[in-house]
Amino acid sequence: MQLIKKVFENKFLRQLVFIVGLLSVWQIVVSTGKYHELILPSLGSIWTALIESITSGEMWDHTAYSFYLIGQALGIGIVLAFSLTALSMVSPLFADFVKTITTIFHPLPGVALLPIALMWFGIGEKSIIFILVHSIIWPLILNTYTGFRSVSRTQLEVGRNIGLKGLRLVSSVMVPSAFPYILTGLKISWSNSWRSLVAAEMIFGASGGKGGLGWWIYQKRFFLKTPSVFAALFVIILIGILVENVVFAQLEKQTVQRWGMVIRREK
Amino acid sequence: MDAKVVIENLWVKFEGEQGNVQALEDISFSVNEGEFLTILGPSGCGKSTLIRVIAGFQSLEKGKIFLGKKQVAEPGPDRIMVFQEFDQLFPWRTVIGNITYALKVNGLDKTKREAKANKYLEMVNLQEFARAFPHQLSGGMKQRAAIARSLALNPEILLMDEPFGSLDAQTRSILQAELVRIWQKVGSTIIFITHNIQEAILLGDRVMVMSSHPGTIKEIVDVEIKRPRLPETPEFMKLWHKLYTLLETKRFGENGRNNVLPGKD
Ligand SMILES: Nc1ncnc2c1ncn2[C@@H]1O[C@H](COP(=O)(O)OP(=O)(O)OP(=O)(O)O)[C@@H](O)[C@H]1O
Ligand SMILES: [Mg+2]
Repeated sequence: MQLIKKVFENKFLRQLVFIVGLLSVWQIVVSTGKYHELILPSLGSIWTALIESITSGEMWDHTAYSFYLIGQALGIGIVLAFSLTALSMVSPLFADFVKTITTIFHPLPGVALLPIALMWFGIGEKSIIFILVHSIIWPLILNTYTGFRSVSRTQLEVGRNIGLKGLRLVSSVMVPSAFPYILTGLKISWSNSWRSLVAAEMIFGASGGKGGLGWWIYQKRFFLKTPSVFAALFVIILIGILVENVVFAQLEKQTVQRWGMVIRREK
Repeated sequence: MDAKVVIENLWVKFEGEQGNVQALEDISFSVNEGEFLTILGPSGCGKSTLIRVIAGFQSLEKGKIFLGKKQVAEPGPDRIMVFQEFDQLFPWRTVIGNITYALKVNGLDKTKREAKANKYLEMVNLQEFARAFPHQLSGGMKQRAAIARSLALNPEILLMDEPFGSLDAQTRSILQAELVRIWQKVGSTIIFITHNIQEAILLGDRVMVMSSHPGTIKEIVDVEIKRPRLPETPEFMKLWHKLYTLLETKRFGENGRNNVLPGKD
């Protein structure tokens, strides 16, 4: 009893128990033999497929390519979003313009742009990056803009008082002051683009013999390698968790938490 | 003595949906080099508006502001403001970082920045907290750090808008004494706003009393009490009552507004 209580008090252990529980249910269902291995593979064969794809280097290559795509898109998206928002802070007319285009494009799901991307950029990297950038900039603009608007008047005035003006005031006072919002925007942008990436890859496939995780899943399904499909899904989930719980958590700890700008997370 | 700041026929109006407010009406006064002027007035009489106009944060309807011989309008590091709000330090920089950054913006090189920041941190007794982040400081310490940052910039005038207004009585009186000591040492020119009569007398060479609706200067009173000043002395109490009466008459104001009694906290 005491042990169980202890296990459930620890957030990590608690989650581990849930995951083990879910996996057991999976294995039990498989062991009934009601479903074909092609539909619902056993945990063992998924594991074998995963290890195999890792040792052969296949998984690394596809993951690296996905990261290569998303990295480029994040780079372009962040620069674009920041330029647009920063200029909005300097010119009210430009702010209206940015607000209008954000209102128009934000509700549009990235995948809905697939046909357009196909027509404009053809099949390949460019189309995927186009869609990813779309899924990155709007939430980032919205959050950064809200953050900029909520900057304390006192801090802005202190900035002006010590001699900061224009874009320098934006980068030196507004950006750090709005950082909690910017971080939220980045998280949404990341998860949006990560999801769009997998979808887009399935449709655009590989270019020049290279493909990302999404493409790999699609290919494996085509050859009815179901365990590999699940192995790839597992990797996608793992990356998502790592980025959100390690990369962003660290970033948050080093910045807004260290600066006392957000309340520390509960255990 | 030379006038450091001259305000000439200053008018400020706020236009709002509920009608216009004449926040300041025909304000003229000057502050001498090295002088400590306190401004006393009931809430809403336009004290903050006045100091914000001088700092360049608030636009004016008509009038002129001179700093020395030059007319000023835009904000600049020659007039540094210390606010009442505790969030005036940049939370993403350490205490010393807040000071060195302000100096960096003003073109000081690295070794000089560090030395200067340390000097002023020592002056406000915060050297031990140099590497702390603002959220790790108490309210009083934050105000001290803000004062250190302002002094380090070596402004021609220090504009202080109730910097001790949110502090408890004890911390407040410690900081008052420290401010006087620093002012005597550095020789800065200061405009200090308060709605506390005792604070106005303790600090000021002169006390400018304002009245509201519209904000005007009621009287400028010389404080001829030797420093250090003690509130229990008869001359202090006499001046206290004089200022109290000057403020109190406003309670039965011309427009019948029932203003909050100042100076009782
Ligand atoms: N931004 C603004 N817009 C409209 N009216 C304003 C604005 N700022 C101040 N006022 C009005 O101007 C008058 C003077 O305000 P101000 O803040 O200067 O008073 P104060 O003397 O500093 O008061 P307190 O002691 O409460 O700080 C008030 O009637 C206030 O309502
Ligand atoms: Mg005020």
